[in-house]
Amino acid sequence: MPSPLNELELDRSLIGQEFERSKSKPVTADQLIRYSRACGETAACYIEDGPDLVANPTFAITLHRKKWVPDGIPMDLMYRGMDAGKDVEIGVRVRVGDVLTGVGTLHDIYEKTGRSGNLTFLVLRVSVFNQREEMVAVIDQKMMFR
Amino acid sequence: MLDFGDDLTPLKLTLAREQIGDYVRAANQVAPRFLSEEGGKKDGLPGQIAPGNMSLAMFSRLLEGAAPGAEVRRISATFRAFVQPNVALLVNGVVTDVEEQDAGRLLECDLLLETEAGDRMVTGTGTVFVPF
Repeated sequence: MPSPLNELELDRSLIGQEFERSKSKPVTADQLIRYSRACGETAACYIEDGPDLVANPTFAITLHRKKWVPDGIPMDLMYRGMDAGKDVEIGVRVRVGDVLTGVGTLHDIYEKTGRSGNLTFLVLRVSVFNQREEMVAVIDQKMMFR
Repeated sequence: MLDFGDDLTPLKLTLAREQIGDYVRAANQVAPRFLSEEGGKKDGLPGQIAPGNMSLAMFSRLLEGAAPGAEVRRISATFRAFVQPNVALLVNGVVTDVEEQDAGRLLECDLLLETEAGDRMVTGTGTVFVPF
């Protein structure tokens, strides 16, 4: 059986290269509170405006991005994939006024053989930093292709 | 104090359609599949679904419920089935490892989001720091 990777004609030289950089506007209290409420949070530090207000730990996922995949990977290929999961490393908490920068890279391409045949996984990484260059989150999204 | 093998306090919840809509609007993730039954069906799905990121947020709530002042350090999730509105859900976790640190303890946990009927929707692991 041919490797799914060959079928997908992915360019391994793309691994590790930055393909996108997005910068947010200063984060507002309204953004933090709306997100936390939508997550079902009830703790005061997440839903009450004031000096103690911090973002829900998963807030960095909301960073708006201009591009989701490197130019070398066609979007129609991505539509054939399935969202297999996410790994999120959480750093410093986001606070009101922070400006977040997300840097997108193709982190890895690997194969697994399952009961239904060969599977290829792409790992798309977004590293999110605040204006002090502190790590806010590293988000790895795994896309699976049969 | 939680220790190896202990269960986290489970969350019982049911996602309303409007809550999923509120989440995707707050998370910059608006897409028809997350907003309505019709939108989901147009994408070949069983109907409206919750985004995977919302499951991460539920795992985060579970981990922070481990103790007062608990801080989530890492969450990993594998999406096994679509999470849909109006389905009773259970979010569970169990401590699989404990690392003593100067200011507290780092708990490694296995995580599971399942329906009350026992269907496993999202599995995962997480790390949470619990201060002394």
